[in-house]
Amino acid sequence: MPTAPLLRIDALTKRYGSVTALDSLTVEVPPGRVGVVGANGAGKTTLFRILLGLARPTHGSVYVSGMSVADDPIGVRSNLGYMPEHDCLPLDQTAADVVATFGELSGLPVRAARQRASDVLDLVGLDEARFRPIGGFSTGMRQRAKLAQALVGDPRLVLLDEPTAGLDPAGREEMLALVARLGTFGISVLMSTHLLDDVQRVCDYVVMIDGGRLVVSGPTDSLLERTGVVTVDVGSDAAAARLAARVVAAGMTAEVDEGVVEVTVAGDDDLDRIRDAIAELELPLYRLGSRLTSLDEVFFEKAMH
Amino acid sequence: MAITTAGAVYDRGYRPYDGPRGGRRAATFALYRASIRRALGLRRSWRQKVAPFVLLAIVTVPAVVNVGIKYITRGHINRQIEFITYRDYVGVSSALLVFVALVAPDILCPDRRQRVLPLLFARPLTGVDYVIAKVGALFSILFAFSFLPQLLLFVGQALVSDSALDYTRDNLDVTWKVPVSIALLAIFYAVVGLAIASLSSRRIVAGASFIGLFLVSSITAGILVGGEEGRVVGGSPAALISVLRLPLYLRDLVFLGEIDPLSPLNGVENGAAAAVLAYVCVLGIATAVLLQRYRWTER
Repeated sequence: MPTAPLLRIDALTKRYGSVTALDSLTVEVPPGRVGVVGANGAGKTTLFRILLGLARPTHGSVYVSGMSVADDPIGVRSNLGYMPEHDCLPLDQTAADVVATFGELSGLPVRAARQRASDVLDLVGLDEARFRPIGGFSTGMRQRAKLAQALVGDPRLVLLDEPTAGLDPAGREEMLALVARLGTFGISVLMSTHLLDDVQRVCDYVVMIDGGRLVVSGPTDSLLERTGVVTVDVGSDAAAARLAARVVAAGMTAEVDEGVVEVTVAGDDDLDRIRDAIAELELPLYRLGSRLTSLDEVFFEKAMH
Repeated sequence: MAITTAGAVYDRGYRPYDGPRGGRRAATFALYRASIRRALGLRRSWRQKVAPFVLLAIVTVPAVVNVGIKYITRGHINRQIEFITYRDYVGVSSALLVFVALVAPDILCPDRRQRVLPLLFARPLTGVDYVIAKVGALFSILFAFSFLPQLLLFVGQALVSDSALDYTRDNLDVTWKVPVSIALLAIFYAVVGLAIASLSSRRIVAGASFIGLFLVSSITAGILVGGEEGRVVGGSPAALISVLRLPLYLRDLVFLGEIDPLSPLNGVENGAAAAVLAYVCVLGIATAVLLQRYRWTER
């Protein structure tokens, strides 16, 4: 039996006066971790607002898990969690209080809300800071508190608007790891971002929009086409240089990039020659794989046409 | 052999929730409770608790004094003299006004200023639910803080009277007049206070605007109606300008069945109807402002 789409958007248009934020957007998205990618002003936040029932479409319709947002916005919101991009938490209250209150606002009984607040704060790594006022939190901690309030109601779908915005590299890694884990909990994720690398790392499905129009959508893997280049990691710059020289001598094109040899291959025979060269040079082989196009390349290629 | 462990880190993972789940009504009630907690400073620092409980102490003082006087003068001939009547006690304290000026902005403005509103409206909650929860919270506190001293006054006077049963029977009408008039006052203060607070995201501006509206309208009405002599001889429809006095006219109607002869509205033709109409109009406008400000969709 085919899986019901998480999201069905049909000819969605939203205009603010003379500005068209979304222009006949039609897309169907399966459950899982979905990245909504686009430059600033592409219409990502408008799409989220329409999903939450906070803005009404000029034309078109949106269904979340089969429920019409226009007909039953309250029912849709009962199954959603939302993490906005901007700061949005009361600064003078503790994380435990805020998250528990949002749990109650999601319809949970008081005791259950407090228990779940404790659980999700633990999950996002704020268990020890939960009795501290949010005003004293770092940017990374605030982002995690925002994620906790989005999860406390045990939503089926969580909307994350630029979840890594403003985070340092370590904080970004932690946030992406958390987002990646959500999929394993049975929670679908719709993550809006302009950072294609974030989407490439954690999302199974990508929706690219530009100027309110759909650029391309599909499973992440299917968008990342093979380039005919294999990357070979032999552990060190010196080893990579030796391997590159041997491969070039065998008539192939190769170059060393950051300690990794990139070899253009025409077929399986070339792969055999690379294997043999590594064996003859008695080099360690740590990784050998096809280099894929990045989502940046896909986005620019599709958006330009 | 003793076994020692250095401790362990448990990843409890994620536990889905499969218990009961409420809808709009539960969300509204949750916001109502959260607003009451905020207004009373519960789960906040001690500084946030000072205003509400100082207010409660202040508004209780007249009841304590009145009961004290009754107790001291028990057995005296002149013990019918009362320090304060039940009617006067409704809305007598300007502390209540100051409390509204402090609390109404505190339970409303941070939601807008700290951009909490999008999070709230991402829940099963509508703008109307939000307004109901906030008005309900402030109304409940104002009602409780006005009613508790009256209760103390009633019980205290009954206990120091010659016969508590006789006192209760003689003052039975108070048992409905007091809650009704307090409810009229509390809903008026709550709706007007929150409507003004909804127009600003800064607490200080909202609080000052609320006090300003009540003071300026009261002073303006006073100037237009005239001095003390005019009030006793005959009032003026201009008295209706005073937002401060509007709920007190209704209080008088509840207790006396007519406009108080000493009020600045005394002698005005259809003064009672005009007072009710003005009260309803102000309440209606304030409600419309609130609903408009929290008509969240399409913003």
